[in-house]
Amino acid sequence: MGSSRAIVVTDLRKTYRTPFQRKKVEALRGVTFEVERGHIFGFVGPNGAGKTTTIRTLMGLIRPTSGSAELLGAPIPSRAARAKVGFLPESPYFYDYLTVTELCDLAGRLFGMPAPARAARAKLLIERVGLGDARNQNLKKYSKGMLQRAGLAQALMNDPELVVLDEPMSGLDPIGRKEVRDLILELRDQGKTVFFSTHILSDVEAITDRVAIIARGQLQAAGTPSELVAKTVLGVDVAVRLPAQVDAAELTAGADRVRRVGDELSLVLPGDTDVDAWLVRAHGAGAKVISVAPRHETLESLFLREVAGAQRGSGGADNGGPERSKAENT
Amino acid sequence: MTEAVGRIWAIALNTFREAVRIRVLYGILVVVIGLNLLTLVLGQMATLEEARVTRDVGLAGISLFGSLTAIFLGVFLLYTEVQRRTIHGIVSKPIERWEFVIGKYVGMGLVLSVLVGVFTIAMLLMLVWQDIGVSIAVVKAIVLAWFEVLVVAAIAIFFSSFSTPFLSGIFALALWVIGRVTPDIERATLMSSQFIKNVAGIALRIVPDLHLFSVSGRVVENQPTSVHGEFVSWGYVGLASLHALGWIAGLLAFAALLFHRRDFV
Repeated sequence: MGSSRAIVVTDLRKTYRTPFQRKKVEALRGVTFEVERGHIFGFVGPNGAGKTTTIRTLMGLIRPTSGSAELLGAPIPSRAARAKVGFLPESPYFYDYLTVTELCDLAGRLFGMPAPARAARAKLLIERVGLGDARNQNLKKYSKGMLQRAGLAQALMNDPELVVLDEPMSGLDPIGRKEVRDLILELRDQGKTVFFSTHILSDVEAITDRVAIIARGQLQAAGTPSELVAKTVLGVDVAVRLPAQVDAAELTAGADRVRRVGDELSLVLPGDTDVDAWLVRAHGAGAKVISVAPRHETLESLFLREVAGAQRGSGGADNGGPERSKAENT
Repeated sequence: MTEAVGRIWAIALNTFREAVRIRVLYGILVVVIGLNLLTLVLGQMATLEEARVTRDVGLAGISLFGSLTAIFLGVFLLYTEVQRRTIHGIVSKPIERWEFVIGKYVGMGLVLSVLVGVFTIAMLLMLVWQDIGVSIAVVKAIVLAWFEVLVVAAIAIFFSSFSTPFLSGIFALALWVIGRVTPDIERATLMSSQFIKNVAGIALRIVPDLHLFSVSGRVVENQPTSVHGEFVSWGYVGLASLHALGWIAGLLAFAALLFHRRDFV
């Protein structure tokens, strides 16, 4: 079985030079993370964050300036590293003169599969991704969503242990996105590892076991979605019934969104409030609690904060910083 | 090794499939067949020279249009893979980049061989039509022209591995022209200074000797050589073919090396 990790990325750096001015552009600035086997790992970041550069480096399309990475225990950019990996490129461009069957056959040949196995696997996958009726059409006639499905089919030809998907939901309608999410979950249920990049945070929250946020070429945070969003309580929504004659000034001091309608008082306490002590005071004032609900950070707010922090150059992780540790514990 | 051959063949077949969809090739095919048909008229105009005209035009068609097609395919087929990012779906599979380069070349070689085959059939039909007959010299000249086309394809692929189609096309065309006239350049520098001779000597060493494949009308092995009379021996054809294979191997090795270092962003 080998290592329990499907992907190990250590201090990966990529620096480009602009064509004429020879100006340095740091696309990756020391990215480090690990992906456990059997997990769904979401790689999140805004455009230009370094998601695609990381993925292309893993798949051997780009050579890192420094650092190292392993796929299923084999170092990149070796052939062995790619042998058990299925890959869907971002906005996949395929040979538009091929049909999806021919595309899958080409992929199967490159994986060294015998002809009968190629034919059977292609048929199965084409049906699975819902292109059975379009199997004889050239890819030129496919919509973007259909191309994405064709890309998924060819990526799975070798029954890979690790599936790397660069923006797999891109260009898909809500139904298509759900189908891709279901497929990713199905792959995980089959024991495969799925690593995918996206900026659709609802997809990440819905299906990933772990998430990493990247911005400006550096990992900003990594962990399970609940770890990332549950660690910070942004505020506490409280609703109490308070006799109308009671002055609520003491209870509402420092609170946000205070609203009193009749004998009902609702407010948002700051995240660092001692809620128990507040409730004791409220009881003392004659209040009856209707509801108390902590307001956690959402993945979206975390994402926006981390990205904004990285863009200011003050937030986020530096190499060796706390986020790096979180990433290494992934 | 068998697995590598399988992967190379997969790329070659796909390249063939891609190339045969290029409409320009059919235009070239029509032009060459038209040229061969034109020999019927030209032969009538040059009384008693029908055979000479038919052979010369037919062979020139194979060599000229074969080489131009090789440059065209060579500079575009590799470049478009990178530009259209279709290569992302390929080199992310367990294939070595050198296998990809060889596969592209083999696919191009197949297309060019089919083209040369069709050009040849067109010329042979004209020869038979005019009761001229097909001599061994013509067959040897066709084999030499075919190898020339394959070398030119390797030149084009080499430039395409690191340059744009426009520059690759210019470089490949320049090399093809220079390679064709290397003996003439050597002769032209005979009266020059030693420095010029040395520079020309070095420059001509790094250019494929394409004149070896176009020998009709030249003096080869101290014998005047003509496709209409005394032509080179099969031994010469064999050596020239080996020379071509050496250049193809060298050019593809450099192309693979350069391609190996490229980032596909």
